[in-house]
Amino acid sequence: MRWMIAGLLFALAVSLAIYTAALRAENVRGRRELEQQYRGVWTQIIEYKRLSVQQIEAASPEELSRLQWQWLRDEGERRRGRLQ
Amino acid sequence: MKAGELLRVRVAFSALGLVPLFLAGWFGYLQVAQAGALKREGRAPLPLNAHVADRYAARSEQMPAPRGTILDRNGATLAADCESYEVRARITVPRTKRADLSLFRPWLERLADSLAIALVADPEVPDRSAKYAAHRERLRRLMWRGWKVDTLPLSGTWPKRHVHVVDFLVAAGVDRRKVIDALSSHHKSKAYPTVFLERLHSFKRVYPERDLTYGVVGHTDSYLALIDGRERFHTFGVCGLESFDALTPDSGAVRRFIADGRHRPYFLASMRGAPEPIRLHSTLDLELQRACVRELAMQCEQGMRGAPDDKPMWGAMALVEVATGDVLAAASWHGGDLHPKAASFTPYQSQFDPGSIVKPLVVAYALESKAVSWFDEFDCAPNGAMYQRIIRSLGRRKPVRDDHDCGVLTPRGVLMNSSNIGAAMIGLQLSREQWRDYMQTFGWGKTLGLNLPHETTGGHPKQSFAPAVPLRSFRANSAISFSFGYEMTTTTLQVARAYLRMLQGVEAELHVVRGLDIDGVWHRAPRQRSAGREFRAEVRGQVLSALRDVVSNFEGATGRSVVQRFKKQGVELSGLIGGKTGTAFGSVRLASGQTVTMRNASFVGLMPPEDPKWLAVCVLQKKGGRARFYGSSYAAPPAVSMLLRCQELRGHSWMRQGPRVSSGGQTRTGLQTPDNSGWGLSVGAGDARDTR
Repeated sequence: MRWMIAGLLFALAVSLAIYTAALRAENVRGRRELEQQYRGVWTQIIEYKRLSVQQIEAASPEELSRLQWQWLRDEGERRRGRLQ
Repeated sequence: MKAGELLRVRVAFSALGLVPLFLAGWFGYLQVAQAGALKREGRAPLPLNAHVADRYAARSEQMPAPRGTILDRNGATLAADCESYEVRARITVPRTKRADLSLFRPWLERLADSLAIALVADPEVPDRSAKYAAHRERLRRLMWRGWKVDTLPLSGTWPKRHVHVVDFLVAAGVDRRKVIDALSSHHKSKAYPTVFLERLHSFKRVYPERDLTYGVVGHTDSYLALIDGRERFHTFGVCGLESFDALTPDSGAVRRFIADGRHRPYFLASMRGAPEPIRLHSTLDLELQRACVRELAMQCEQGMRGAPDDKPMWGAMALVEVATGDVLAAASWHGGDLHPKAASFTPYQSQFDPGSIVKPLVVAYALESKAVSWFDEFDCAPNGAMYQRIIRSLGRRKPVRDDHDCGVLTPRGVLMNSSNIGAAMIGLQLSREQWRDYMQTFGWGKTLGLNLPHETTGGHPKQSFAPAVPLRSFRANSAISFSFGYEMTTTTLQVARAYLRMLQGVEAELHVVRGLDIDGVWHRAPRQRSAGREFRAEVRGQVLSALRDVVSNFEGATGRSVVQRFKKQGVELSGLIGGKTGTAFGSVRLASGQTVTMRNASFVGLMPPEDPKWLAVCVLQKKGGRARFYGSSYAAPPAVSMLLRCQELRGHSWMRQGPRVSSGGQTRTGLQTPDNSGWGLSVGAGDARDTR
């Protein structure tokens, strides 16, 4: 009986050690994943801010008129090319 | 149990009991008796204990504080710090390449090429191929220098004492996701397992409407300085609003994380207490600034009528809100190919002889001090009896002349016809002390007090009021010259302030900052409680009525040509705008030592003329050339267009009196951390709410 109890206690200790190690490993994995996500979010923020500035610049009257002129020129050249 | 069995069991369990004893002994030997340490070249051995292990695992990333954001009066962003990464590389030469040096150089070339491709990974990067080539060459040079490749043999093995780890900056200001991802793929990758890339937080200054804001918003520069005993880059504002100390951040935030022995990061905590950028609300209105820059540039680019290549040397235009003294727009234009960053900002840095635009101020001062009355008559005929008696009798060497001969004029007529003789006669009614007070009253030669660096103040020569100069000589020269804006220099914004003082009070000042938004708390920029002693309403009304008549179709009105010009475009200016034209010329010594004749055309416009809300000043200066460079023809059109634009925008209710703020009481333009509620908002204005 004594040996059986000792064996069970030993098995329990081993199980606890394995469980603890697994839990810690899972924790580390989770933290690493969280860290990746955190850094990913930062990257998205950086991209978002850049795009927001780009959008402001792209919608300025100067830029829109430049685009308009470019389209008109392209269209004119296209029509001239078709006539020739 | 038999005796033999018992013995075997005891031996077995004793052996098992010895295992932990042995392990404990071994642990004690390593950690206490031996106290292991790693030998390091040129440094003290690294002790292998728990404290060092913790120190190596506990990492932190620094988050520098963003520089303050500059906004226009409606909350639109003029300058902001955008987050970016500074990417550094720590690269160790792989063992295989160290074992065979013939493989090293091709590997280095491939690595430089691969990193250069990563830096232009975003297809939207402009001039990709040129940038790729430049990055490739730069990285190749950095690595070549880092590993001292010139001193390495072409083949064989890596020399024992030769450095095999290099650390260098791959790129700064990396803000494209595709580029960040492409660079990250190199970090300890299968192809380059010895490449370790570190991303450091940094900021990139962005100016969404750069072409409109070069001079007034200014720009920043960085230099390497010894800060807290360490060499660090210090960023400072060179000129314009950027030069205000309030924009310089205090300190950044730190985020802690942990890393394993292979530098893999693990989440520990998010960033706390990241400082929010200070928001500086300027008085500028972006829409009006756009119109100001465009109108001035269009006028200057047109050149002289009939000679398009004969362009001004510089131009300046400013628009001021009369009630508050707020500078709504200020534009600068320079001839030549000078980059706007390198050019002076003409509204407060370029001086000129004001000429006739000071006449309304002289008349207002003379009326206020009761030296003349509104109904006094002056015979302005060039060789008339009055001219002989008042002006020629003083013995002035240079005669006073008008552009066109005038007869008997009241002060109103003097202003309408812009008569130099009439202005001189009015000016001669003032004493020397009154002239000194006139200079003080209108702030000629005094700083604008805007705290903008490199401001020039102009003013009159010291000799003008020197006690040694006899009164007769002062009257003959300085008093007459001051009367029509000579013997003194000024700047465009000083002219605006002088008119503002005539309209609001003798202590009125211009403003370029409305206030600061620090952590959501609004701090109004200090302003004087009152604009000081006001000109009598009668005087103000008389001068304003004359200025209204200047911009009319009346015979002899100097603003007649601008009225006719706008009439062709279907705009009737008579009664809509008041103003004063000015044309002056003088000799200017250039930096090269050469003396040239400069002509300047100027115009001060007021709208509406009876009770002005806006005040526009435009000045163009050109070198020598043709004499027909008049204020009404060249300076008035852009200023009038500006004033009309003001009215148009007012009609559209686009001009707001208060900055736009979000519901949180702050204009969210800065860049916050993910922990911060405002991090997801774009750079730009929040919703409009006029509560300030």
